[in-house]
Amino acid sequence: MVRVKNRYLVVNFLYPEPTVKSKTQLPDLVQIHSPTPDALKQGFIVRMIRDGVHELFGDYGSGMVSASLKVNYYSASTSTAIIRCPRDHYEMVWAALTYITRLPIPLDIPVVVRVVRVSGTIKKAEEEVIRRSQQIIKRARAWDAAGDLPMLQSVEKAVDRDRKSEGEVLAAVDEGSESDGMSE
Amino acid sequence: MFHDLHVPWTDATRELQRTVAFLDELGYDVVALTYTYSGKLPSDLGSPIPGKLPFPTPSRMRILRRCNIFLTDSASNFRIPQLQQQYDLVAARPTDDRTLQQACQSLDVDIISLDMTRRFETHFKFPMLGTAISRGIKIELCYSQGIMSTDASAKRNLISNATQLIRVTRGRGLIFSSEAKSVLGIRAPSDVINLASVWGLGTERAKDGLTKEPRSAVEFARLKRQSFKGIVDIVYGGEKPAEKPSGAAKDKQAVKGKPNKNQNGKRPGESLEGTPLHETKEDKPISKRQQAKNKKAKNQP
Repeated sequence: MVRVKNRYLVVNFLYPEPTVKSKTQLPDLVQIHSPTPDALKQGFIVRMIRDGVHELFGDYGSGMVSASLKVNYYSASTSTAIIRCPRDHYEMVWAALTYITRLPIPLDIPVVVRVVRVSGTIKKAEEEVIRRSQQIIKRARAWDAAGDLPMLQSVEKAVDRDRKSEGEVLAAVDEGSESDGMSE
Repeated sequence: MFHDLHVPWTDATRELQRTVAFLDELGYDVVALTYTYSGKLPSDLGSPIPGKLPFPTPSRMRILRRCNIFLTDSASNFRIPQLQQQYDLVAARPTDDRTLQQACQSLDVDIISLDMTRRFETHFKFPMLGTAISRGIKIELCYSQGIMSTDASAKRNLISNATQLIRVTRGRGLIFSSEAKSVLGIRAPSDVINLASVWGLGTERAKDGLTKEPRSAVEFARLKRQSFKGIVDIVYGGEKPAEKPSGAAKDKQAVKGKPNKNQNGKRPGESLEGTPLHETKEDKPISKRQQAKNKKAKNQP
């Protein structure tokens, strides 16, 4: 029996533009990584992607993708989601995510979706999510005590060095089928 | 090193600061702020973009200044040498086939930026674009309008033009940039690479379009402006540090010279070849053979 091959996209929702309601000016880093409103449910995300694929690739695309499209994990507070899609057509889903500019109608907030990892197993995707959030905490700590303690300064430096490398900027993409582990 | 060479300049400082911060967050290292001259060039070509931006910029980001000129009429004079003094990059945006041909073949610009949202009457031809690429001019593909625009035909045209350009150039000399009117039009490098691979360009080539090709455009433009005939550039002219006392400078030189110089002040390689001419006799002890020879010469009547 052959398994159905999937890809797991780790996705960040970024909010570079402040919403109209907020009066105080946040630092840009905090604004970009601000949490998603609670009203956004997993169902909305799936619908948003399905509409996006339909708009870009038509009936063919949505037919190909809809077989295994699912949101496996979604956290509003860190604005992170793991999306499952068919392995052969993950590029379509990715392109549809790139084309998203606003959250769906009840919220209607401008958003930029960024794919940070394309993984063959859900375990690797989860590890990436954990690693990312650890890094954000490190950065926030460094931000808190910038120029205070030498140790924190070195942490800040190390985080900055991490970001400089190319691998950190580009999303790692698992190719081929050999890396498909024991998901499902 | 990821580049975004087309970020429109606006007077709204807050907007621009947000855009730059977002670009930094996404991992871009080199950003060019663009000022577009529409219509006739004004008599004063001074750039409206200040050399130092009115807000703190991320330390690892390099910000360049670039101008866009519309090529509406092939006969008019674009005063490109003057523009080159004011801006780090000069880009041309042809509006029809004649001006596109002129830009490819004779115009001294750094980048040809095409308006992808409208239909071109003829197909792009390789000989024309090939001359531009072989002259070191890059062709720019701006993706943001396809994402932000509400007009369906603009999106369609962008995709069709992009696939055509990719087919004709096979990814050589193409650079991807955003031309984002607002922050929301900017996408992360890997998202752009995926978009390009959906449009039919290989992932590696697409990555080159964000890293290698724009870098070569930037460096080529810099060499054109600073160096002698675009070939010879003085990286370090050997000037003496002015403010330091001479003793300290000497010391530093001695320390610096140490690793590859022996006591004679020569590199190890030099001492291998024969006896140097200028070496004095006194410090060299006379060899045994020479001593014997001398003795022999003395003894002989």
